Amino acid sequence: MDLKSYLNLFALLENPPTTHEENRAFGLSHQALKQKPVKALMAWEDSYVSTLPQPSLGERFSSYLYGTTLILGVLAFILGVLSGLALLSYSGHEPVNVIYFIAMVVFFPLLTMFLTLIAMMRTKRNRSLLVHISPAFWMEKIFSLLPNQTQKDIKELKINPLLLNWIMIKRSQILALLFSLGLFIALISIVVTKDIAFAWSTTLHITPEAFHAFLNTLALPWRELFPDAVPSIELIKHSQYFRLGDSLSKTMIDNASELGEWWKFLACATFFYAIFLRFLLFLLANFGLNRAIEKSTLTLPGATKLLREMNEPIIRTHANNEESVFVPSKENYEQLVHTLDASYDMVQGWAIGKENLVVLNDSMQIITPEFFEVGGSKSLEEDNEILAKSHGEVLFFVKGWEPPTMDFIDYIKELSLKVDKIIVVPVGTAKNNYKIDTSAVDVWDRKLSQLHEPKVWLKR
Amino acid sequence: MSNHTHSHPKFAVVGHPNKGKSSIVSALSMDDSVQISDTPGTTTKKRSFPLSVDGKIVYELFDTPGFQRARRVLAWLEAHEVSADKKQEVVQAFIDTHKEDERFRDEIELLEPIMNGAGIIYVVDASKPYGKEYEAEMEVLRWTGQPSMALINKIGESDYSKEWKKALEQYFKMVRTFNPMQVDKAQHISILESMAQLKEEWIAPVKSSIKLLESYYDQMIDKSAYLITRLVYESLTFVDKLKFNTEEASEEDRKKIEKNYKEKLRGFEKRTQEKIEHIWNHDHLEIEENILTFDGMDLFSEETASIFGLTRKEMMITGITSGAVTGAGIDLLFAGHTLLLGGAIGAVVGGVGAYFGFDELSEIKVLGQNLGKRFLQMGPMENRNFPYILLGRNLYYTSVISHKSHAKREMIHINMDSTFKDKWLDDDLKKSLEKYHKLFRSGKEVDAEALKAYEALIKETLKKLIDSQEK
Repeated sequence: MDLKSYLNLFALLENPPTTHEENRAFGLSHQALKQKPVKALMAWEDSYVSTLPQPSLGERFSSYLYGTTLILGVLAFILGVLSGLALLSYSGHEPVNVIYFIAMVVFFPLLTMFLTLIAMMRTKRNRSLLVHISPAFWMEKIFSLLPNQTQKDIKELKINPLLLNWIMIKRSQILALLFSLGLFIALISIVVTKDIAFAWSTTLHITPEAFHAFLNTLALPWRELFPDAVPSIELIKHSQYFRLGDSLSKTMIDNASELGEWWKFLACATFFYAIFLRFLLFLLANFGLNRAIEKSTLTLPGATKLLREMNEPIIRTHANNEESVFVPSKENYEQLVHTLDASYDMVQGWAIGKENLVVLNDSMQIITPEFFEVGGSKSLEEDNEILAKSHGEVLFFVKGWEPPTMDFIDYIKELSLKVDKIIVVPVGTAKNNYKIDTSAVDVWDRKLSQLHEPKVWLKR
Repeated sequence: MSNHTHSHPKFAVVGHPNKGKSSIVSALSMDDSVQISDTPGTTTKKRSFPLSVDGKIVYELFDTPGFQRARRVLAWLEAHEVSADKKQEVVQAFIDTHKEDERFRDEIELLEPIMNGAGIIYVVDASKPYGKEYEAEMEVLRWTGQPSMALINKIGESDYSKEWKKALEQYFKMVRTFNPMQVDKAQHISILESMAQLKEEWIAPVKSSIKLLESYYDQMIDKSAYLITRLVYESLTFVDKLKFNTEEASEEDRKKIEKNYKEKLRGFEKRTQEKIEHIWNHDHLEIEENILTFDGMDLFSEETASIFGLTRKEMMITGITSGAVTGAGIDLLFAGHTLLLGGAIGAVVGGVGAYFGFDELSEIKVLGQNLGKRFLQMGPMENRNFPYILLGRNLYYTSVISHKSHAKREMIHINMDSTFKDKWLDDDLKKSLEKYHKLFRSGKEVDAEALKAYEALIKETLKKLIDSQEK
């Protein structure tokens, strides 16, 4: 799991190249990763990274990061060498004060490492001051002012603060490490190529004994391994230097050959405090960054959805195909009757019994000599018998609440061949005193309008 | 010959035209794309609604056109009077003979799945009286010899269930009442259990379908909880910026950024609600814009705040308790040597913060003055009441959507009052939620675990809400 994969996953999730079904198929074929979401996401990224436009976002960002880190690293190394040369510059008239160098290779790294540790604990913060005061941050800011297409792309990329902070912390450790290496190389080079007299000098009233004790403590990590790299009390006494006066003290001149012995201590101090401890911090930053990438992977927009699609069975309950759209007829039936006549040649009822037809006639004060039930439970033969008897004007009662079926339409068509006029009367239930809703009549209206039969009329 | 090669159970929903077959299919398949209308003949082709898991069909439901010429079909069948064991063959012969006959198109469409092994679910409308004209179609179904049940669809005001039941029991071994307009998970499962009883070999697959369906409901709740979590998180952490070129930001600029900020948050909510509709398979909801803003109750209106948000007093109590908890942590760290001052100070800070952060949404900051690129910034959300309002609205919305039957085609009516808050928000939940709201507002990176924990709280709340409505 690295930054490149993370960014490629980010780009893939922005425009997922897969369907829900494909993701589920992927989940089923990677069952072992069900409990390892980050690995599952990475495996998915690995499978589909080729669908990204090349070079991928991850590749572009990684190469940008590598490029800037390389340039900044070279600069830091050169700065380290130059700082080392400056701190160790020796004219031959005055000895080199080791205090400056100790400050640079011990105290400054310890202070910055302490701040880094605090910054590591505050990486969740959006605006971490400690990260923002890092030279790496500002060097990169200056660097980003240079025109570059990749930088433009990266500025548009919203990396979450946790990750950004860790990237910056890790980068700072690399730069500090290279700076320290520069110092170390400058020290070794000068020691090899020059004869330097080291001394120590401070305004503070520090006795050689106290200074010896202090240096002895600093040398704790290596004093057992390299006892020569711990300055002796004699060396400290001999190399104490006071700038007052034009000439060096006699003791110093007498022990000039010993003064160069300080380099061992300085080299060990540089190696341990500025390089070794920084390297440990770099490893810690690397670990922190990897953890941050893992954590951030799970908060990437779309990551949870993707994991869900991989791990949850696809349950579908709906139709696979689209239904053809039904457009109801908007035609209105024009052959309408609003008032019934007093008498008709016959009354027929579609699935309405004879007794009910009599009641209906009575309630509408209609006189008819004949009543017939058709449709419903009657057989087709019985319907045909009634058809044969049909004549004149027929009042045709239908159950208004029942929709007209094609069975009814077939009968009406047959009937229209035998009679002069058919008046279809949709009626309501007895419970409702045979009154019928307009919406129900509308259904009959629409059906009859498809019939186009001039003899058929509708009572509204 | 009938084809029984497919092992999964199949059910054909059949009946007279316009009796609610499509409504029942729509409700049972949770598919709101099914066309439902009062015009007979809306369904012209049989349509399959499989319940599938990872592409494997567990059971299949068929929506079919209604009987149009049942008497003619029955007459044809009866003309071939045979012994009971040959009746199925006669029905198949009818299908084979009339396959190209336009007159029996609907009958063929509805008989085909039955002859392919589907169980029969015969639907009648109990709001309309029983009539003898139904007997022909029930008799045709009896000829098919397939296991069958009747569903009395109770969708209207009048109730003729009793007379229907008497008649249906003559033809079907099982008669159930079902209202597709008010179907919930329990009713859905109960109908499936009845369907399982139609044939012994269907019991196991339908039971596993029921389990699947239960996990499907869980999935929908999960997904909704995830969306609501993201909505709250994104709304609280959202920061909007507006560039301005003058020396000082004008009042107009300030109003503009506030307007933009609110619009963006409204947009987040709207998109979330659309996704929730999709999760619950309500892609065809007819919702007017004002419904989304809760019948004119805008996300930022006082009315919304009064219904969904906490009162100033409740907000202060929440602030005090969460502040006290933080302070108590400090006391604990110093083993009580702080004389419990940490808790007390925390409570005061929390309470005062809540009191003053009650009305304000977020401070409008002017940034970048020294660098020449001046802009106004609004967000992250500072209003402590806002997350409760947002949560309340969207929990409510989800619970309404989750209970909306897929058979319903009318607009959603949202009737709510301040008692809704009491249904989901108690003191313990307030305390737990406040911890996360504070984290979201802080601007710190929120890790996946925290979001997961918040989502779990939302899921539990949503589940309780949905379950309580089903009882």
